[in-house]
Order: sequence, then C-alpha cells, then structure tokens
Amino acid sequence: MIVEIGHFALVLALATAIIVSILPVVGVHRRDAGMMAVATTGSLVMFGLVALSFAALTWAYVVSDFSVKNVWENSHSLMPLIYKYSGVWGNHEGSMMLWLLILVFFSALVAIFGRNIPETLKANVLAVQAWISLAFLLFILLTSNPFIRLDPAPAEGQDLNPILQDFGLAIHPPLLYLGYVGFSVCFSFAVAALMEGRIDAAWARWVRPWTLAAWTFLTAGIAMGSYWAYYELGWGGWWFWDPVENASFMPWLAGTALLHSALVMEKREALKIWTVLLAIMTFSLSMLGTFLVRSGVLTSVHAFATDPSRGIFILCILAIFIGGAFMLFAWRAPTLKAGGLFAPISREGSLVLNNLILTVSTATVLTGTLYPLVLETLTGEKISVGAPFFNMTFGLLMLPLLIAVPFGPMLAWKRGDLYGAMQRLWVFAGLALLAGLLLWYVQNGGPILAIFGLAIGCWGMLGAVADLWYRGNFGKLPVMTSLRRLKGLPRSAWGTAIAHFGLGVTVIGIVAASAFNTEHVVEMKQGQTTDAGGYALTFDGFREAVGPNYTEERGHFTVRSGGAVVADVWSSKRLYTARRMPTTEAGILTFGLSQLYVSLGDPMDGGGIVVRIWWKPLILCIWGGCLIMMVGGFVSLSDRRLRVGAPSRKAKPVKAVMEPAE
Amino acid sequence: MILWILLALMTAIVAAALLYPLSRRSEALAPDNAGEIEVYRDQMKELDRDRAGGLISAEEAEYARAEIGRRLLAAAGKQGAGADGISKTSALRKLAIGMVTVVPPAIGLCLYITLGSPGLPDQPLEARLENPGNDMNLLVAKAERHLAQNPNDGSGWDILAPIYFRTARLGDAELAYRNAIRLIGPNGARLSGLGETLVVANDGIVTEDARSAFEEAVRLEPGNVRARFYVGVAQEQGGKAAEAKATFEEIAKASPPDAPWMGLINEHIAKNGGTVAAPSLGGPSADDVAAAQDMSQGDRQEMIRGMVDSLASKLEADPNNIEGWLRLVRSYMVLGDRDKAQAALKTGLEHFPAEGNEGRQLIALAQEIGLSAAGAANPGATPKMGVTQ
Repeated sequence: MIVEIGHFALVLALATAIIVSILPVVGVHRRDAGMMAVATTGSLVMFGLVALSFAALTWAYVVSDFSVKNVWENSHSLMPLIYKYSGVWGNHEGSMMLWLLILVFFSALVAIFGRNIPETLKANVLAVQAWISLAFLLFILLTSNPFIRLDPAPAEGQDLNPILQDFGLAIHPPLLYLGYVGFSVCFSFAVAALMEGRIDAAWARWVRPWTLAAWTFLTAGIAMGSYWAYYELGWGGWWFWDPVENASFMPWLAGTALLHSALVMEKREALKIWTVLLAIMTFSLSMLGTFLVRSGVLTSVHAFATDPSRGIFILCILAIFIGGAFMLFAWRAPTLKAGGLFAPISREGSLVLNNLILTVSTATVLTGTLYPLVLETLTGEKISVGAPFFNMTFGLLMLPLLIAVPFGPMLAWKRGDLYGAMQRLWVFAGLALLAGLLLWYVQNGGPILAIFGLAIGCWGMLGAVADLWYRGNFGKLPVMTSLRRLKGLPRSAWGTAIAHFGLGVTVIGIVAASAFNTEHVVEMKQGQTTDAGGYALTFDGFREAVGPNYTEERGHFTVRSGGAVVADVWSSKRLYTARRMPTTEAGILTFGLSQLYVSLGDPMDGGGIVVRIWWKPLILCIWGGCLIMMVGGFVSLSDRRLRVGAPSRKAKPVKAVMEPAE
Repeated sequence: MILWILLALMTAIVAAALLYPLSRRSEALAPDNAGEIEVYRDQMKELDRDRAGGLISAEEAEYARAEIGRRLLAAAGKQGAGADGISKTSALRKLAIGMVTVVPPAIGLCLYITLGSPGLPDQPLEARLENPGNDMNLLVAKAERHLAQNPNDGSGWDILAPIYFRTARLGDAELAYRNAIRLIGPNGARLSGLGETLVVANDGIVTEDARSAFEEAVRLEPGNVRARFYVGVAQEQGGKAAEAKATFEEIAKASPPDAPWMGLINEHIAKNGGTVAAPSLGGPSADDVAAAQDMSQGDRQEMIRGMVDSLASKLEADPNNIEGWLRLVRSYMVLGDRDKAQAALKTGLEHFPAEGNEGRQLIALAQEIGLSAAGAANPGATPKMGVTQ
C-alpha cells in the first residue's frame, strides 16, 4: 500500500503542477493576489507530494520489495544498506525522481524564503518552475515510471550495477543535481523577468545567491564525480573529456560566467540582458546534459537504460524549454532597460573579459562534444574528439583567463587603474614564478610548459592572497589593525579570495599530475619487486575474500622507500555474483598531496599478473582545490549581500571612454 | 478499501490546500516597485553597518550612498501599479476554484487507474521469506541466503543444483554442482548432473570437461545409466562409432528389456551401425521415452526443446546462417524429431543450394545422421539413405 500511495502522490503532484502552471500566471495578468498566492501554496504542496513519493520508493528499496519492477531491476536483498538507499537513484527512473525532488525542493525554497521578492515576480518564477516540474512529471509517469509493479513478484533482484556500488553514488548524483537543477531557479527568474518585461534590484538581489548555491554544488558534484571515476574505474585518469563529463562541465563553465555577470548586475545594475541570456543558456546546457546522458545517445556508466521513446520525449522537453526561452528572449529583451556605464579597465570590464572567455570555452566544449554526434547522425562516420582537441582549444583559452584572475578583484568598480593593480601585483607575480620554478626543481624535471602552468597556479593562489593583503592594508597599518580589517571584510570578498585560491590549487594539481605523472605497466609474480615513483613495490600474493554480494581476489603489495617499509596496499579484482560482473578495485596510497595508484590487470600464463602502477604527484590538489572553491562559494553565500559597488574616488572620471554596458 | 480512503483523503487535502488562498478576499497588492525600494533601503542600512565597522572609508560610503540614493529616487519615481482587491466571488475566481476542485481528483484518478496497481499489496522480501508458501523461487532465494552465509554447506548446494538446472540457470547450476562436489565429495548423481549441465550449456555437445565428469561418474557408480549414456554420446560425437556402439550395447545388455530408456538406446545403437538385438514391436518413441523417464528428465527435454525452438525462430528471422541450420537439423535429430529435422533440412537447402559449399555441408550432415536430402534441392544427386529403425 505504501508503494501505491507513493505512486498516487506522484500523480497528484502532476495535477498540482498543472494548477500551479496556470493560475498564478493568470493571476499576474489579472492582478489577482489570491491566484498568485496559489503559486506559493502549490509549490509547497508539490514538494510534499514528490517527497512522499520519493520516500515510498526508497522504502521499497530498503525492504527489497521486488514487486516493484524498478527495485527488482536495480537492487538485491544482500546489498549493504547504504547502497539500498543510494541505489534509489542509481538507475534511470530513480535518478529522474531525484532530479524532480530537487527541482520541487528549490521551488519550495523560493516559496518559503522569497518574502522579499515582489509578489508578481514570485508568482511568475514559481509558475515557470511548475512548467519544468510538469514536463519532468509527465516524462517520469509516461516513460520512466518507477512504480510499475510485477505480479507475481520475483524472489530476488538483479542487483545494482557493481561499478555504482560505491559510496560515491551516495554523494555524486545528489550534489550534481543540486547544481544542475539549482540553475533552473536562475532560468525561471530570467523567464519571469522577460515575461514581466522588467528587471529591478530585487531581481538581481535574488538571482545571485541562487547562482552561487547552484555553482557551489555543481563544483562539488563534478569534483566528486571526477574523484570517483579516478579511484573506481582503475584507469588512473581523473578527467577524460568524455561527452558525459563535458555534459556536466558545460553548465559549470556557463554557470561560472553567470556567477560573475550576476555580480556586476547586483552591484552595478549593468549587464542585465546579458545575465538573463546567460541564465537561460546555463540551464539549457544542464538540460542538454540530461538529454545526452539519459537518452542513450551516449553509452557510458550513466546511460542506465536506453529507450528511444525517452530520448524523443526529452528532446521535446528540450526543444520547448530552450527554444521557447530563446524566442521569449528575442521578443522581450529589447524592452528591458539597459544598465549603467563603465570604463573598459574596471572591475566590470574584467568581469566582461571573464564572461567572454568562459562563454567561448563553453562553445568550444559544446562543439567538441556535439560534433561527433552530429557527424555520426548525418554521415554515419564515427570519429572521436578527445583530449588533444580540448587541450589545444580549451587549454589555450583558459591561459589568459587564469593570468587575468588576480587582476579582477584588484580593479575598482566603474573605472579602474590597471597600472596600480599591476604595481601591487608584480611582487606576487615574481613570487609565483619563483614558487613555480621551485616546484619544478623539487620534482626534478618536466617540460617548460609545466613550469609555466605551475607558475600560473601559484599566481592564482598568491593573487588571492594579495587581494586579501591589500584589502587588509598590511604593511601600511599595524598588523593587528590589518587583521581586524580582514575579519571585518564582507564574506563575499572572502568567498572570492578563497574560490580564486582554490582555482590556483586545482591548476597546480592538474599541471603536476599531467606533467610529472609516471606510469609503470609490469607483469609481476609473487615476491617480485618493482620500482615506481621512487618507491619499491613488492607483490606478496593473493588472498581470497568474500563480501556481502561479491567475491574478490585481493593482491597485497608492500611499499618500501630506501629499504624501509613505509606502507602496504591492497588492490583487488571483484566478481559480483548476481550479475557475474567483474570490477577492479584500485589500491591507492596517499603521500602528502601525491598518490601511488596500483591497479590489477589480467592474469598471465605462468602465475603472473599485469600490474599498473601510477605515481601521481600533487594530484589531490585537483579535488582539494575544488573543495576550497566550494568553501569559497558557501562563505560568499553566507553574506547578506546588500552592497553596491562603490566606485573609487581617486580615479578621475573618464567620461570619454565610458561605454554602454550592453 | 483502506487504500482508496487514503487516496481520497490525500486528494482532499491537496485540493483544500490549493483552495485556501483562493477562498480569501485578496488584499490589495503592494505596488510593483515596493520590492525594489525595500532592497535599496536594506542596502542603505548595510552601508551604515560597513561604515561603522570601518570597512569602507568615509568617501567611499558617501559615493555609495549617493549611488543608492539615485537608484532609490529612480525606483520611487516609477508609477507603481498596485493590485486591485478582487472579491472572492469574481467570475475568474469561480473558474479558478472550479479548476482546483476538479483537476486533482480527475487527473489523479484517471492517471492512477491507468498506471497504478491498486490491488497489489506491498511485498517486502523479509515478510515473504517468512511465509514462502509453495513459491519455488522464494524457497530458492531462502536457500541462497542460507548459502551466502554458510558457503560451505555442501548438501545445501547439492539440493539447489538440480533446481537451478531445471530452471535453466545453468551458470548457477554448474557452480552449485562444483561446490557440492568440492565440499561433500563426488558421487555418480552429482557428477552426471554436472556433466549434463555442461552439455546443455554447450548446445548438446559433450565437451571434454563434461566427458571426464561422466567417466568419473561411471567409475564411481558403474550402474549409472545416464552417465554411461552420455559417455556413449561423447564417443558418437567424436566419430568413434564402434566404441559408441559397444557402450550403448553394454547399456542395453545391463538394462531390463522394458526399461523406459531402451528406445533411445536402441536408436543410438542403430545410428552407430549396429543392429538392435531384440527390437520390441512398436517400441516407444523418443518422446515416450522422455515422458516415461523421471520428471527431471522430462523437464530437461522440455528445456532443450525450448532452446532449439528459439534457434529455429532466430533462423526464421535471419536465415543466412549455415552454422545455425547445421545445428538445428542436428538438434532435432537429438530430440528425436525426425520430421522437423527433415523440414529444417529442406528449408536450409532452400537458402543454401546443394551446389554451393554450404549446401554440400548440409547434405553431408543429412547423410551422416540418416536423413533424406532428396527432393530438397537436387533430386538424384545424392542417393537416398535408408532409415534404419
């Protein structure tokens, strides 16, 4: 009965979505506050219903109710409890339920915390959210219903895909979806603004925190996914420019641009139309990502099940929402009032540069992702666009951006002083170069580009420190006064510095792990020793072990440095009994920020086994940097953000070079 | 019934919640620019706080204050249109109320009746395992859980193995037989069961593995007719007709003349060039033999037949597969279905004419197993083979 109640709750949510899609819009049109208020109540009701439905599905997973087809297909009674919970979204139907749950959760948040939003804007925003919910509810109920029952019920489930039986599944999808779907709120705000034909300070005040929250979660989700792929798939890589990865990376790039343009909007009331366009683009890319991953166009771990009818359905959703939003934009954008003026060299100017580079690089990634698909559809020719393309194009585009990052926060609003910023930064530039060279020296080798890359990473980190240094006015004021000034800095300034610092850390990780990474592929027999990454690994042999729903052969390695044992590591090959599917579990040893990665290959004749050993210097910086960026996001989010960007008095007004913002 | 009451209750709560804002006379809306003005006021307050905290200089604060002031003035200057108070009885309101009252029950009921299964109760596995009833799958699942915790319970594996075999879970059956043999030792039944699993898994071919299992079974239990029969089949498939004939004749000698398997044995003796010692008049056909044997044998035949049928339908869809035709013809003969074998041969020859290389393979097979290839494609090209039975 619980399952059926969950099913009915989902159907009722659909009915509610229909009402919330229509009544508030009519209410705004007729200026009827009662009908507008239906948006608030309705969004809360929808959240309640979807949450009830999701809870019913989760319950079916936890108690292994195999009369539910979705549970039977993706669960097994012997699975550890945590995977029964996370397994709910470890399949197509369940992941769409999670997407929907987060969507209505965000709607409910807007409904509860949106007291400051003008009633009409709020009603429109919630109505647009309801349109999206309606589309996904229909998609779930008609093509991917998780509540389909089986009678008679099978006695045992078919188990969850073993690759997904990992703690990562509990974290990665929810974080990623919080990011993806979070941008839906920005999208709804943008569409609502276009419908009303006006954007005011309240709009800007509300869009930026949503962007920031979504961006923060998306950063965490992507980093988590990358780390998961790194340790679970056993290839030793952390980013493959795989279309599925790109699908999540594109909204991130566009979202990063949105984050910065929303900043200009909030503080200076400029770049309004551009921000609206970016908000639409970002969520469109999120939906495109969902389409690519869910329709089965791409085959990967994420394409749980392929079904052409689903693909066509999502394609229709995509066409209606993206096409509709862009048409609305083309029609209504001219009615929006353009914002303030600023000089090319100013905080706004640097943010425009940031936006320019980020959107161009998004377009690059989009091209590299879609071109092979389009080509295959049109000519049947299969090509793969891989790392070389992206490194050449995306890498080159990122270079000027990374160099420019520390300048941005140093420039004043409206009109800035590049020379002054450079003067302040040159010491740190020198320090960064020095630190980069030092790191190279420590690693003892590596091409010149790597040194340059490391220097850019350090540049990013030190630039952030410099930002705080000058804001605290260290060196001019007594240290204690400076510290007090730092403490009093707005949290958003802290957030900026922390996030930019994190970006530098990530760059260092990427450069070091790519340039100084060593790989050894050897055939080892019991007792043999191999040198890798400055350590000597001895293969001590295999031991059989039995897990709750798998059997495994665990290989044990002793790691020595200079003759002394420093660590030992297990690396294993598992066989999941229900699906008869083998997986490899890599053994990973962490030394400081670097890692030694041991993965087992195929057994050879004569008792040996292929062992791959990677030495990954500073690789933890990649994800550590992302975590720091995430912290920066949260710190900034905790700010009251009620400031305007005051232009500096010192610079002379240079009216002649003022340009319109849009 | 309780379910329906609960569903009705849910619908009512949802409709009531949505009706609530519509049921009140709405207050006049704040003007459009109210939110904007509010934000600017907040910004002013924040500015004062920042100034008090020493975060910004007096000049900066002044500039910012001027900036906010300009915006505030601009916002306040705009004509803010408030909403009219609309009575709850306006026509539009009535329409809205009607929609909220009708949509949830109508959509909810229609869609749920189409998609849902209101009659099905929840079936958590634990509760089902406690009362498995006659559900074979549940009993198996229960045994599996027991074995997952006690993987060294050999007799458990021994009980499960033939059940797996009957339900066509061949991989599990092989594993179970091997575990049982490893844990409680080999015997004739286990070894021949393992062998038979391997044979079925390999489309009726007695592989090296299977043959050694059968031979071991015969060594342990010389009276195991099933194992001896398959040893004979192995010899037959290996082209050792004489040895095969000897094996089958031995079985015939050791069996009572009215044993249910005698028909099958005699068939094989004949196939390997021997004469049947005492042809019983109107001897049982292969089907009868299968039916007469113990139940598991019957199921086994049923299963093989199912596999052959699926091969046949595959070939119907894609006839361009000579290996498939060869296997199908041979399988029908193994099943004792001469007519179907003949028909399959004929269809096969239609797709692969007898003149061609593949066609010749089919005809060679026909001669080998004693089918008539005549009339199929090239009458007269091959002599009719007599059917020795």
